[in-house]
Amino acid sequence: MSNSNSSNLAKEEQKLAFKLLIPAFLILIIIALYPLGQVFYTSFTDKEFASSKETSFVGLDNYKALLSVSVKELEPIIDEETGEQVVDERTGEKQFQRPIRVLPRDPYLYRPSFEFSFFGNRYVVGARTPDFIRSVWNTLIFTLFSVFFETVLGLIVALVVNSEFKGRGAMRAVMLVPWAVITVVSARMWEWMFEPTRAGLFNMLGDRFGLIETSYSFLSNNSLQLPAIIAVDVWKTTPFMALLILAGLQLIPNELYEAAEMDGASKFRQFFNITLPLLKPSLAVALIFRTLDALRVFDVFQVMLSQKRYSMASFNYFQLIQARQMGMASAIGVIIFIIIFGFAVLYMKSLGVDTE
Amino acid sequence: MKKNLFLVLALVFVITFSGLAFADSHGEKISLTVAGGAVGQEKELTIKAAEMYMERNPNVTVEVLETPDLANDRLGLYLQFLEAESPEVDVYQIDVIWPGDLAEHFIDFYDYGAEKVADKHFQAIIENNTTTDGRLVAMPWFTDAGLLYYRTDLLEKYDREVPETWDELEETARYIMEKEREAGNQDFYGYVWQGDAYEGLTCDALEWTYSNGGGQIVSPDQKITINNDKAIEIIRQAAGWVGTISPTGVTGMGEEDARSMWEAGNALFMRNWPYAYALGNQEGKPTAGNFDVSPLPAGDSGKSAATLGGWNLGVSKYSNHPEEAAKLAMFLAGEEVQKMRAVEGAFNPTIKSLYQDEDVLEAVPFFGSLYDVFTNAVARPSTVTAPQYNKVSELFFQAVHSVLTGGSDAQTAVEYLELNLMDTTGFETGEPLQP
Repeated sequence: MSNSNSSNLAKEEQKLAFKLLIPAFLILIIIALYPLGQVFYTSFTDKEFASSKETSFVGLDNYKALLSVSVKELEPIIDEETGEQVVDERTGEKQFQRPIRVLPRDPYLYRPSFEFSFFGNRYVVGARTPDFIRSVWNTLIFTLFSVFFETVLGLIVALVVNSEFKGRGAMRAVMLVPWAVITVVSARMWEWMFEPTRAGLFNMLGDRFGLIETSYSFLSNNSLQLPAIIAVDVWKTTPFMALLILAGLQLIPNELYEAAEMDGASKFRQFFNITLPLLKPSLAVALIFRTLDALRVFDVFQVMLSQKRYSMASFNYFQLIQARQMGMASAIGVIIFIIIFGFAVLYMKSLGVDTE
Repeated sequence: MKKNLFLVLALVFVITFSGLAFADSHGEKISLTVAGGAVGQEKELTIKAAEMYMERNPNVTVEVLETPDLANDRLGLYLQFLEAESPEVDVYQIDVIWPGDLAEHFIDFYDYGAEKVADKHFQAIIENNTTTDGRLVAMPWFTDAGLLYYRTDLLEKYDREVPETWDELEETARYIMEKEREAGNQDFYGYVWQGDAYEGLTCDALEWTYSNGGGQIVSPDQKITINNDKAIEIIRQAAGWVGTISPTGVTGMGEEDARSMWEAGNALFMRNWPYAYALGNQEGKPTAGNFDVSPLPAGDSGKSAATLGGWNLGVSKYSNHPEEAAKLAMFLAGEEVQKMRAVEGAFNPTIKSLYQDEDVLEAVPFFGSLYDVFTNAVARPSTVTAPQYNKVSELFFQAVHSVLTGGSDAQTAVEYLELNLMDTTGFETGEPLQP
């Protein structure tokens, strides 16, 4: 009797709980699920942004255009006289056919995305939208390096401000300054420091100390663009990393260190046997945060490189605003969503984060 | 509680109906919104012009909506208004490359009596603003054209002439740059221009190819003409400037970057729009009084080319008062306002007769001497490739940029550009049009 009573009560409470959750669910549906569904739907159409052009359903065409690749071998150029492969006199590199000769053109034009060598043969990877393939690549490289450096530096900074010293409070506040600066502002600031003439800080310093011959243009030189952007992001986001790790450090009870001290463990040993294992959960959370954030990087790329080099998100933006291909832009959005989702799952699994 | 509610309701009724009654007794009261730029003096002058209009049309209130400085951002904002078919903005200030792309959202000025005034404006701009089916979707407001800025003091010092061809420019720039560097200014360069991967590079590169007889990317009769020896040759030549007469960083420079280097006294030549004229003459700057402007150098065609820039006024189809808005737009683009803007802000008028106006010439002397440059400016292929122009322009500047930064050679880049353009527009290839 009393049993069924209490279960009735539980049911009543459950019902009430669901009723109370309805507003939250409704809001979630309106602000998250509906737009997301809309993006999914639009990605299967050829909708043009701000245009009265008839929109038609195109199935997977947008995805095909973004993701189709074609790998072709490049024939070596043979010197007719000697019968050997032509070598560029200036660079000493072996000469191969230009990709324009081998990549398919019908029914779709494939543009060269990048080339690579394999067992002495040269191959070209062609894509229908090479800019997108490159933007994915740029974003992955950016994410890998920026998150790595931010974690290492953040850990060091956190360890420093966690130790007892005079002025620790002030130090902790100062540490946060780069994080507090709005990204667009800090990107502009760094843009000035990267100025390609001696008006820029780095070129000026290099010149003062006789380190460089000519000025470097960090933001228009292909091989310097990503390192420059990564530097900005590391500068800006290390404090955030440090903050999260610091919170984790403070959870570790002091007694453990005292006990280790008694047992005669070195500082080094203490770090690897106590600090690191106990820090793992907070480190995992920090890593997930940063990785997912870095994968959807937009502002630094948009301000500093604009259309010189794209991240996934800035390519998406230009597809929508400049090219006005709303269907295509939606498809890019969905792909970004899937990539980020994949990373999130991967992290959860590999770091054993408790989801309960 | 109930009493209060009743009171509020009553108040609402009173206000609503008194508004109606008010409107009835004083004729229709109309409010119009102009979305305009705010670069430099732009906003002040637009507000001033709006006040002039309101004085004459007391039943109309004109509001000016400030929009982002960067053209790309501004386009993004406009597209959001237009996508939503919003009646919020009645008159849009639009870039000279947008009429084609945005035509479907704007009214035809010929329906509102524009044929009477169209002839007064520069022919090239009217053509640019007219769609392929003959609708005039925007009134010209002010124009722009690429100019060559040169340092009079330095040319005099080294006894050199103002260059008339690209080869001369290269030669003079190299010579004076060498001398100036020997004299101690290590930061001195010969020529600065807009080489970043953006619309500005399309403008600069169009001037190179067109002046060299290499055509204008896509000709007005829908032929892709970029893949020719003359175009490839001049793009290759320009790539040779990077790191020699121009800093390597020129491939990251926009208008303002070039201007700041020029105004610091660190460049002999600069390619820029007319707006840099008044700014370069401000007191205290090393360039003040030491420079002049001329048409850009010519290439193999023997003729100089200047890319057409500038802004126009379009009236939204979704406006609640299209007729009133069209009237306002035509007033703003009319002689009186254009003269005021020319005198007070050095904005190039689009009305031919104003270039003979004494007040205008006194304020901005080069309007007279460079009249031909402004009337013969070459338009970017925006109307003919609409609504794909932004894509076309991006393909073009990315191709040129890859050559400038050494990422690919001029021939390959242009060959691919041709294929890409065919893919994007579906046009055939053809022979370049000569200036």
